[in-house]
Formats: sequence, C-alpha cells, structure tokens
Amino acid sequence: MEKVINLAKAYCDQVELYSLEQTQNTIRFEDKKLKDIQSTLLSGSSIRVLKDRKVGFAYTRSLDNPEILVQNALESLKGGVDVQFDFPLTKNVPRLKTYDRAITQATNTKIAEECRRISSFLEQKTKGQVDLRAVTTISRMKIVNTAGSDLSTSASYYSITIMILYPGSATGIHRSFAFKAFQNIDDKDLSMLAELYKQGEKESIASGARMKVLFMPEAMYTLIWRLQSATSGKSLYHRQSPVANRLGERLFNDKLTIVDNPLDDIKPGARAFDDEGVACKRLVIVDKGVLKNYYYDLDYAAKLNVAPSGHGFKTSRWAGDTLSIKPMPTLQYLAFERGDKSFRQLVHEMDRGVVICGALGAHSGNIPNGDFSIGLSPGLYVENGEIVGRLKDAMIAGNIYEVMKRIIGMEDTTHPAYTGYYPAVLLDDINVATQS
Amino acid sequence: MFEKMKSILTKIKADYADIRHEIKKETKISFNGMELGEIGSNTTDGYVLRVLHKGGYSSVAFTGAEDHEKAINIAMENAKLMANFTAQPVGFAKADVIKDSYIPKLKEDPRHITIDEKMQLTKKYNSLVLKNKFIATTNIDYVELIRKKHFVNTEGSEIKEELITTRISGLITSRDGTLLQNVRVAVGGSTGFAIMRNREDEFENKARIAVDLLKAEPMKGGRYNVIVNQSLGGVFTHEAFGHFSEADIIENNRSMRQKMQIGKQLGSDILNITDDPTLPDQLGHYRYDDEGVVAQRTPLLKNGVLVGRLHSRRTAAAFDEPLNGHSVAEDYRYAPIIRMGTIFIEPGKETFDGLLEALRDGFYIIDAKGGQTSGENFTFGAQYGYAVTNGKIGKMVRDINISGNLYTTLKNIQAIGNDLELSQVGGCGKGQTNIRSCHGTPHLLIRNLVIGGA
Repeated sequence: MEKVINLAKAYCDQVELYSLEQTQNTIRFEDKKLKDIQSTLLSGSSIRVLKDRKVGFAYTRSLDNPEILVQNALESLKGGVDVQFDFPLTKNVPRLKTYDRAITQATNTKIAEECRRISSFLEQKTKGQVDLRAVTTISRMKIVNTAGSDLSTSASYYSITIMILYPGSATGIHRSFAFKAFQNIDDKDLSMLAELYKQGEKESIASGARMKVLFMPEAMYTLIWRLQSATSGKSLYHRQSPVANRLGERLFNDKLTIVDNPLDDIKPGARAFDDEGVACKRLVIVDKGVLKNYYYDLDYAAKLNVAPSGHGFKTSRWAGDTLSIKPMPTLQYLAFERGDKSFRQLVHEMDRGVVICGALGAHSGNIPNGDFSIGLSPGLYVENGEIVGRLKDAMIAGNIYEVMKRIIGMEDTTHPAYTGYYPAVLLDDINVATQS
Repeated sequence: MFEKMKSILTKIKADYADIRHEIKKETKISFNGMELGEIGSNTTDGYVLRVLHKGGYSSVAFTGAEDHEKAINIAMENAKLMANFTAQPVGFAKADVIKDSYIPKLKEDPRHITIDEKMQLTKKYNSLVLKNKFIATTNIDYVELIRKKHFVNTEGSEIKEELITTRISGLITSRDGTLLQNVRVAVGGSTGFAIMRNREDEFENKARIAVDLLKAEPMKGGRYNVIVNQSLGGVFTHEAFGHFSEADIIENNRSMRQKMQIGKQLGSDILNITDDPTLPDQLGHYRYDDEGVVAQRTPLLKNGVLVGRLHSRRTAAAFDEPLNGHSVAEDYRYAPIIRMGTIFIEPGKETFDGLLEALRDGFYIIDAKGGQTSGENFTFGAQYGYAVTNGKIGKMVRDINISGNLYTTLKNIQAIGNDLELSQVGGCGKGQTNIRSCHGTPHLLIRNLVIGGA
C-alpha cells in the first residue's frame, strides 16, 4: 500500500488508498434440498487522489501493477471533478468487537445441518415450503491516507434468512437473523414464525378502505428508504430533500425515535470509522418525532460547509461492487427505539387492518418526495384484533410525512431487517387497495 | 488465456468443471445537476470456477489467479458436501462442444471515442434538461461496460465473447415548493456509441414530463381498465411472467412448478411471449451463455399456452427439457443464474387508436419505474399516465403503482397493439444485476388492474 501511496504522492496533493479482502460462503436450501453452495474470494483496492481541489478515483483487483491504478486515478483527475474536502487524520478510534473467531469453526457442513434442522422443524409445524439462505462473511478492510490515517478493521458476519412459503406462491413469512458467528436459531423464534404463517394460511377477501396497518420489520425499508433519501447531505445539496431546513421540527409522531449507531458492536458489522476514514459516531436522526440531524460524507459536508458525520460508505442500494463505488452519504446502522407492546398486543389493537409482512416494489414510486405504493407480500388481514387470513393482490400507498404522524403503537422488541433493526410499527388510517 | 485456464482445469478431479475468466472495463461519467461528480475508466478481472462431482455442484469466484488452488479445494469440498446432502444428484444436460470467438459488430466502437467526447455528450443532454427552471436537479450518468469473457470446460469447449453495453441514463427531478417529482430517462444499448447520438428530443421530452408531473393529479387507489405502453408492458412481461419462466425460480417450488406445467393455458389466446437473445442489435443479445451454451430463441407462451421455459444445464436436466442458453452472470464475481435475454409479447393487430376506442374509459399509463415479483404476485411503478374518457386522452396523472396476480392479469389482456418496442437499457436485480436485460411489448389493453395511488 505504501508503494502505491508514494507513487501517487509524486503527482498529487493528497492520496487515499482503500483495500478490501473478503471471503463469503452462501448456502441455499429450498424445499428440504440443499440447492447451492457458492463461495467468493474477492480482494482489491481503490484510490482517490486530490490535486488543486480536484479529485481522481480509480480501482483495481490487483496491486501487482500499481502504476496502472495510479495512472487511472490521474486520468480521472484530469476530468476536473471539483471537491472542497481534505482527507482526514483519524486516530484513536474505539476498538470495537467486530470479529468473532468462532466464525472459522462454522463449517459449511455445520451450517447445512442447521438449515436442515430448521427446515424439518418448520415443516412439522406448517404445511408451507421452507426456504433458507445462510451467508458467512469474513472481511478485512484498510484505509491509509497522506494525512496520516492508517485504519483497519476485521469483521465476521453470519446471517440466516428463513422463509415459509404459502402454497401456490413464492410469498411467505420471512425473518432474518444476524450474528458475528454461527448460532443455532432458537426454537421459540421458529415457533413464532410458524404461528404467524398459520394465521395467514387462509386467503381472505376484503374491500379496499382506509384502515390500520402494522408494518413488520421486514417491510420497514419501504419507509426508511424515503427517510434516508430526505436526510442525506447529497439530497440537501441537490435540492432533492423535502425536509431541508427543518431540523428541530416535529415531522413524525412522538413515538418515533431513530438512531444511527455504527459503534454498537453488540450487533455484527459495527464500525469505528467510515469508508473514507472519518470517525463514526452515534447520530440521532429523529428524536420523539422531531428531526434532529442530517448525515454527510466528506464531499457533501464540505459542499454544505458542515462537519462530516462519518457516513461516507462505499455501498449502493443494489449491492454493487464496493470497490467501484465512491463513498456517498449512507445510513446503514439504523435502529428504531422500541416501544412497549408485544406483537400480539399490537394486533389486538387493530379493529380492522393489515399486517404487512413483506413489500413488493418499495423501490418504485417517488422516493425523494416520500411517496410509497407497495404490493403486500404478504399482507395478513386482521378483524376484531385477530389475524384471519392473508389478502390477495392488495396494495397500500401513502407518504411517509403523513403516515408516520399516525403511529399508534410500537413493538417492544427490535429485529434485524434490511437497512437496520426495527420493531413492528402500527399506523392508523392508511389507504389499502384490494381486488374486491 | 485459454491455455492458462485449461491448466487450472487439469488440476480438478471432478466429473465436470468449467472456468470463466472475465476482464471488465467500466467507464463512468456522472453528473449531479450541473456538477460533474465522477469520471474515470477502470479495468478489473476475475475467475469463476464451477465443479460437478458425484451429483454435487458448487462454484467459487476469485480475483487472484494465485488463489486458484484454494478455489479448487473449496469447490471440491462444497460439491462433496452437497452430494452427501442431496437425495437427487445434480446433473447437467448434454451440451455441444463449442470452439468459437464472437465479437459483435458495433456502430461506433466506444473504445475509439475519447472520454472527453463521452463527457461532452452527457453534459449536453444534462444541460438541456436543466434549462427548465422547474427542474431541481438531475442524476445523469454515462456508463460503458466492456466484458471480455473466456470460457473453458472439461468437455472441450473454448469460447471467447465480448459484450459491450453503453448507456446515458438517470433521473430528472422537478420541484415546485416542497413537491418533488421525478422521471427516468435512458438511451443506450449493445450496438455501440452511435445509438446515443442525436437523442436530444428524448431528454427534452422527459424534462417536460417531469415538469408537467408537478401539476398532475395523484391517482386514487382502485381497480381500473388500462392501456400500458411498450416500456411498462415490457416490465410486466419481464417481472410477472418472465421470472416464472426461469426454471431456477420454480425448480424447488412445488406449487409454482405445478402451475407452470408445459401445456397449461395461462393467458388469453391472443397472447404470444418469446425470449430471444439471438435478436441482433438488441440490448439482450449474446451468442453464448456463461455455461458455453448457444443462445436460442425460446417461445414461452403460444396462444396463451405455456410451451417453454428458460434453462441452465442443471435445470434442463432436472426438468428433462431442451437447453436454450439462458444461464448468465453479471460479471466475474458471480456464477451464472438463469436470466431472460430479450423477452417480449409478440405484436397483435390493433392500432393505438383502436385500443383507445376499445378502452373507452380508464387510464393510459406510461413507462416503467421499477418492478418486483414474488411468486405470482407482482408490483411495478409507472412514471406517469393520462385519464382516458370516451376514447380520448385527457389529464395527466401521477403516483401510479400497479399490483396484481400473474395468471389473472395474463387472462385480462384483452387486446394487443401492432407496435412492439424493445428497451434500450436494463437492470434486473435477481441476486445479480443484469444490465442487458431487454424487454418490450406493443401497447396492451388490460382489464381490472389494481392501482395503489396516493
């Protein structure tokens, strides 16, 4: 790495080198069968160079020819992309427990056996087909820059997603579990999934109307994507945020508190610094319904003349190639503050409504404006406080700045789901469209 | 390269093995509003190794050639594990041994055009959009992807193929007070740089639509009769029907496999759906898939009856159906999975005016804004639409998301236009992103679609 930095330094004011090594195993079980085992051994580096307030960016899978990497960065520099930031000097970041050695003891055989156990357990309790996906990841990331930062982190990650399918469809009840190393899934959690599945076995018919809606953690990204878009420094800078200049305003119901905390190393994947070497910190986005903070990477913080918040990550919504992506403002450690009611209590509070266990098409619609319109996949229909079946061909629609004012209950537990850790959230008076 | 790859294969003691090496060159130029956000060109490479041994199958993607022995060990270990775990051994359908090199002809090879010229063209289109005072910002990208693939297997195939994809695409955002609206814009394809020249009208038109959307009426959720345009029809065909034609989606889904039996009447008898990667000059064109199987035109639905499905070597063997060359990977980071190439509804006889007359009252909804499917249920967004009253197009509407059931909707296609159009850019995200996923239809008249409005 030092050789690359020195090569580039000869032509530039500042240099940053990011490197990533990652091994991953993915095991898929479908209908009691081991369908697939895929492994990846990927590594590579990306470089950013600054000169005369311009930035150049390049990446490679191999540092065997560092001259080519540097040359590509210098060519990119000639393009003339303006920036105002400097690479940071970051030292003394907290040592987080992100790597569990036990990850290496979990063989694919052991994981496959656990998948088979879960599959058998659930198929004894339900008539549904059980599909599972278990992923084990070990990664090592390093950032060095000419400001003097020399940061590295290793991480281990084990996740398993369990889906029980309803007959005649690929829709079902699903839940993900995430740890730093392999763990067996508790029978109690599996039983809860099975029970929820059984309650939705019968197909229900209901006419469209405004009604209560219980967003399960697995569907929460529908709402979160809109909030992530609105509070990003990038959206603020490009006039794409409907919440610009609204810090301190009560935008949502006071039951809603949302915190982004990369430092929480009880959860897997914690980070003490972001992908451009800025120290991470706990950031309250919404406190009791009041908008408290926006989030920034180095680039947009400088453009908006504010301090970077440690949210420059090389990720994209569609799981692109980390190496080829420039850091952008990203919220990826979100958690809702939990409420005070169990899932059952929340269902009992619904005279008539829908439990949204999965969303279809959350990426469609007008995300910057906060609008959403999703298919329910599935939506469990509730009458008089009991789940009576699942709706076919139903949709809900709304705008997060309206519907999240109407939170009437939050679950007392949070669950890992796509984009963060969420409880089930009960919303009132949501537009549900059905075939009937 | 073939010799290096063959030498790796000789170290594998398996019933079957193949290896694919790819060099991927990506050029990206990105504008956010008037600002240039990114510009550059980079080349990366990697390998994907697959083994089939005693009924067990596994794959390993790796980026360092020095890791090939480690990759072989992992692949063999995983294949053995799978063989021990499965009651039904995996097999591969027999494929022809092929030795060929395929370099598609281009109208202007983007490699011969300077990055500055690419940037100037992107900037010109971006500036046209930003001229309108109600346009708040843009995200307009030039993306050029050149994949040089080498494939070798233990059966003797040696194939080299290049895939070159270019596009200028992005999002146009309009704003009036706190109201934000957006429209996607895209030009491009697999035929070279020329397809992106002289496309000013496309960008100006989309900017106008983004502004008009600020005054459009939000749709009210409900059930409507609609005409969908070619882009939206293409997304419906891809999302709702096409994914079910991919054998790996239904392979282990008992009930879906029962529903998707060859010979079943799934749609109205006017409906014919085909996937054809061999169509030249289309985004979805390729000659060989990433298992070295020759791509074939594959009729899927004929007069509403299911007549075929898309296969890999593995699923063709499992279903005992013919191979058709539809196993494709995003790049060297992935083993191939079954993908559509160019899927389309074949044209009917109706003119657009005839469809409007048949619709009488309903909505004309236009251009896709993403879609997703889960089993037989689908949801996809439309960018905008118009109310239709007495067969005449009226006020613009927005906030359109359509949801439905595949089988019901296929039967509710009442009339098919004579004006087939295929997409110029793609981006299917079935685990991997397929930027060459091509689809299209003529205008379609569909009864009783559920639309979740604002």
